[in-house]
Amino acid sequence: MSDNLVATGRPPLRPVPARKASRRGSGQGDAVATLVVVAAMVIAMQIASGHVPDYIMPSPMSVLHATGDILFGDRMHVLVTLARLAAALAFSLVAGVIVGAIMGMVPLVRPFLRAIIVIDTGIPALSWMLIAVFWFKDTETRIFFILTVILLPFYAMNVYEGIRALPKDLVDMVESFRPSRWQMLRYMIMPHIVPYIFITTKSVVGYAIRMAVFAELVASAIGIGSRMSLAQSSFRIDQVFAWTFLLVILNIALQWGVSAIEKLFLKWRPEVAVR
Amino acid sequence: MGTIDPVIEIRNIHKSFGGFVAVDDFSLRVEPGEIVALLGRTGAGKSTVLNLVMGTIGPDQGSIRVAGFDPYAQFRELKGRIAVSFQTDRLLPWRTAVENAELGLLILGVPKAEARTRALAWLERVNLKGAQDKYVHELSGGMRQRVSLARALAVDPAIVFLDESFSQLDHATAGKLRRDFHRIAKEFGKTCLFVTHRIEDAIEIADRAIVLNPGARIVLTEEITPELRADPARVRACHARIAEAMGGEGEADDQESLAPVTAG
Ligand SMILES: Nc1ncnc2c1ncn2[C@@H]1O[C@H](COP(=O)(O)OP(=O)(O)OP(=O)(O)O)[C@@H](O)[C@H]1O
Ligand SMILES: [Mg+2]
Repeated sequence: MSDNLVATGRPPLRPVPARKASRRGSGQGDAVATLVVVAAMVIAMQIASGHVPDYIMPSPMSVLHATGDILFGDRMHVLVTLARLAAALAFSLVAGVIVGAIMGMVPLVRPFLRAIIVIDTGIPALSWMLIAVFWFKDTETRIFFILTVILLPFYAMNVYEGIRALPKDLVDMVESFRPSRWQMLRYMIMPHIVPYIFITTKSVVGYAIRMAVFAELVASAIGIGSRMSLAQSSFRIDQVFAWTFLLVILNIALQWGVSAIEKLFLKWRPEVAVR
Repeated sequence: MGTIDPVIEIRNIHKSFGGFVAVDDFSLRVEPGEIVALLGRTGAGKSTVLNLVMGTIGPDQGSIRVAGFDPYAQFRELKGRIAVSFQTDRLLPWRTAVENAELGLLILGVPKAEARTRALAWLERVNLKGAQDKYVHELSGGMRQRVSLARALAVDPAIVFLDESFSQLDHATAGKLRRDFHRIAKEFGKTCLFVTHRIEDAIEIADRAIVLNPGARIVLTEEITPELRADPARVRACHARIAEAMGGEGEADDQESLAPVTAG
């Protein structure tokens, strides 16, 4: 994970705003490289599909058709999955921040919460999925539960690390005005942990959507996961490919969305480039 | 207890870090409205004394009273009574210049609009009018120091602690700010303890200059009266005595005292 490299929460040592332009250049390079890779994959699919049966490798055209069908007929399922993801992510974020803040600010309960988190992160996602099926009847509750137990510890741990990394000189400065606990939280701690919340969201969102689809496969009749399961059982590999394609796009879009919001929130941070 | 007279009373304090004695039996009384300068070479213990008086750290021995309160044990009692301008700017990077300047006012519960107006007035006073909406990384070092000074003075405290607040500024700006500060402090009767290693800072604004050697041991106390300030010969003599007490580095001691001590 890139956590350690990025959000230290303080303005980095060497702001180099002048290098923005050259960065955008490398962004273009990335886009070109991505296009080249995609094109190569499409060509490889095309060639392979000519040599093997359709149920093993569909042609790019049939995948495109299937994608079109999905976008017309199955949009609801995409929205359902996204809504589930959003609900679980939002709840995990809020609850995780609270848990992390408690860990950072109440030394008495810290070891207990940390133990819970260590155990939790050691439990395989699959176990949670099976347990959820036993514990909850309602599909939405199951999926919400699965995603939350997986995502919450990431937020709690990173926020806790963020609080540990509070710069002492700034804390002392704020304290010199004798703030209330709430004011300390509001003026110092919360702004300081925002970058940690974003870095967590960026690093879990891709994982979260995979887990959401997986949970739907196990526990739900609607959503992307259940549609993929249906495609598999009706031998529609073109649809499996189409869903996969959409998931990749969705993942990129989500990452991009989080980064855009992050830019908005962290506009106080100088751009850095390390040579 | 209960009396606010004198404003700062420090009795025989000691402070060690690990085995290292940073403050060894330091005592000081600062009367209301008095400006006291603490001078001394780097590492003398000036900032440590200030940290003790602010209540950031507690003494190992001895007692401190600020406005009648123990600044460490009765930490919150000093709300609104003191303000500090630190040796480094300590600005919050996620706030703009004016948002930093109004921080203390907001913590004191001053309504937003009023806090903004007062902070802006202070930024103007320190010549930062146009920079109010810049983030910290967009400000120069001297600008940051001035924002930090504005943030401290904006809360209009009875007691002000300054740690090298003018040192990192160019001569003209430092001189102007020093005079402004002196005028304001005297006009409003502010009590001030300020740390510096620049002798001219002390002579220009302090009523009393105290020179510390490592361990915060007082080696010289100079009363600086308006009459002394008006007499160049006495100023030179006073300057020389302070310089000698600081280790003989004399007037060249504008930068950090990294040069070897040349006793003369
Ligand atoms: N928290 C601390 N832990 C350990 N040692 C400390 C700590 N704070 C200060 N010291 C030591 O105490 C001594 C006095 O430090 P202090 O910061 O008070 O010096 P100063 O007079 O303010 O110097 P300067 O002019 O360089 O700011 C130094 O030797 C320093 O290393
Ligand atoms: Mg110091």
